Amino acid sequence: MPTKNENPTYLDAVSAALDAEMERDPDVFLIGEDVGQFGGAFKVTKGFLDKFGPRRVVDTPIAETGFTGLAAGAALVGLRPVVEFQFADFISCAFDPIINVLARHHWRTGDAMPVTMRAPFGARLRAGPTHSQSVESYFAHVPGLKIVMPGTPEDAAGLLISAIRDNSPTLYLENKYLYRRLRAAGPLSLDPIPLGQAKVVREGRDVTLVTYSAGVSQGVEVAEELDKDGISVEVVDLRTLVPLDVETIVNSVRKTSRAVVLHEAAKRLGYGAEIAATIQEECFWHLDQPVVRIAAKNTPTPTSPPLEDAVIPQPAEIAETLRKVARA
Amino acid sequence: MAPRSRRKAPTNNVAPKITDRDPQLLRRIYEVMVLTRAVEDRMVAMYRGGDLLGSFYSGHWHEAISVGSASTLRPDDYLAPIHRDLGAHLWRGMEPWQVMASFMGKATSPTGGRDGTLHYGRLDLNIYNLPSHIPANFPVATGMAFAAKYRDEDRVCLAFCGDGSTSRADFHEALTLASVLKLPNIFVIENNQYAYSTPLRMTSNSETLSAKAVAYGIPGVTVDGTDALAVHDAVAEAVARARAGDGPSIVEGITMRMHGHAEHDPADYVLKELYEEYAKKDPVELYENVLLKAGVIDDDTVKQVREETRQVAIAARRKSLADPMPDPSNIEDGVYAD
Repeated sequence: MPTKNENPTYLDAVSAALDAEMERDPDVFLIGEDVGQFGGAFKVTKGFLDKFGPRRVVDTPIAETGFTGLAAGAALVGLRPVVEFQFADFISCAFDPIINVLARHHWRTGDAMPVTMRAPFGARLRAGPTHSQSVESYFAHVPGLKIVMPGTPEDAAGLLISAIRDNSPTLYLENKYLYRRLRAAGPLSLDPIPLGQAKVVREGRDVTLVTYSAGVSQGVEVAEELDKDGISVEVVDLRTLVPLDVETIVNSVRKTSRAVVLHEAAKRLGYGAEIAATIQEECFWHLDQPVVRIAAKNTPTPTSPPLEDAVIPQPAEIAETLRKVARA
Repeated sequence: MAPRSRRKAPTNNVAPKITDRDPQLLRRIYEVMVLTRAVEDRMVAMYRGGDLLGSFYSGHWHEAISVGSASTLRPDDYLAPIHRDLGAHLWRGMEPWQVMASFMGKATSPTGGRDGTLHYGRLDLNIYNLPSHIPANFPVATGMAFAAKYRDEDRVCLAFCGDGSTSRADFHEALTLASVLKLPNIFVIENNQYAYSTPLRMTSNSETLSAKAVAYGIPGVTVDGTDALAVHDAVAEAVARARAGDGPSIVEGITMRMHGHAEHDPADYVLKELYEEYAKKDPVELYENVLLKAGVIDDDTVKQVREETRQVAIAARRKSLADPMPDPSNIEDGVYAD
């Protein structure tokens, strides 16, 4: 089933996937702050209250711990809640129910808690230290959570559908910079895309760029530029951090023998550290160069444009790093 | 009229006379309270004898609250208990040996030894298995109640917490959500006057803990938590209200934690006068005397029930001690649900 929209944005894709799953499964409901009558802070759920009614589109007080725990309880007895955190920055208020209730309940008891947690995250909107965070590494450390981070409208739709149908608690992180900046080439498929499958989004010979979320479109753009200089970059989009598709990464790095990891999160113990460690474990004898990480500086994300640009990876830095690793 | 917090019986109705109550229900409440005491006494001994992995968290003097509350529910209602509520688990059909197995990390515990000690529950009995972060069970309880309402079922969800829990954000957020969304929840506060070593006066500045209900615009009532029938009546009214679609309530039962936070804790910080006062208010004895006086049971029944439950506890220990330890070979299974 395709979307009606001709060239849907990343945001349209999220919205269309939610709409399709709510139509398909009466146990799916939305819960969060301002998701109903206001349609969500970013308008992902605009019109949902009118279409599905207040039973299934639940506006809540400002109570992240409360509504995340509510979702856990509802999921335990058979519903499929989709929680919206207004900004990923606020997810820290729900750390306890996510980590101590949701993530370990199935392992402890054998009973599933199928909760999908959507959260707009990321920088480049000049939103400052507590409205721009990348939160994936906080949660990637915790056994029991799946983490989905789409980089394209196509994946945003198909991966969200899989996340909602998945029986494990799943964190679905939407890059808010991409919401209205990325458009699909045509109507989107609303078929599920399996979790745990990375994708080679651009084939290349000289160096592998492993990335996810906004790094995908950014990486492909830089790769096109480098192509003019005869540097061939293969771009691997992880799509889901947990479960991680190690095989696709390994196959690419064994082919190119060089690897760079890119993300917008701070470098220290960012997900790139896990990727770099995995590559050296699996591909050490294939590598011509050490694995290099491109990531944000180990500071909070600043607000003012020249400051934020100095902290978040920029195309020039990505190009220079890839060039260096490819030619060394 | 705005709801108010009250200290006395929650209704204008006079509590039913003992002779007007269902004798079978009265007897069943008695049996489960005595069984609870027998199993916990045995487990205290097991702690001292070195049978258990860690400490033992007992519910001595909580029997009237846990059984008095659980006995108001239907089997299909949801229950979200804490570590003082063995009585509620037993009321539902949890086996004493399963609880002992949990405190020993045995393969036969409800979590197969993956979790242990006080972290047991059974979804087939509609009992949530809580983590350590009490009252993390409160938001979860709102979710189970939400699901019932979502499906137009008349099930309710009863959750327990302690006096210490009332300081936490999830208490406030769960009460806020349940009251705003008008969920069929009953929140029972087991006020045993100490949060580990912290006395009530350092936990709350409220006159009562049920007074917090005023802020949520819901009924709140405080009852004598050593009086099984007082608890039962107050909770029954809250259950009826929730089942009728009129939203959540708070019931506070005041009792005393007669053992340490757990058995490793000598609790020498507790006021001696409190122990002396509550030594005279053993909920099991009090209820036993009420039933004896009313002729619902006689001395022979007391002897019989006391001896039978003692034997159940002995057999449960024997079984759980003999049960196998878990096999670590599948430890990575089940991190994610299929």
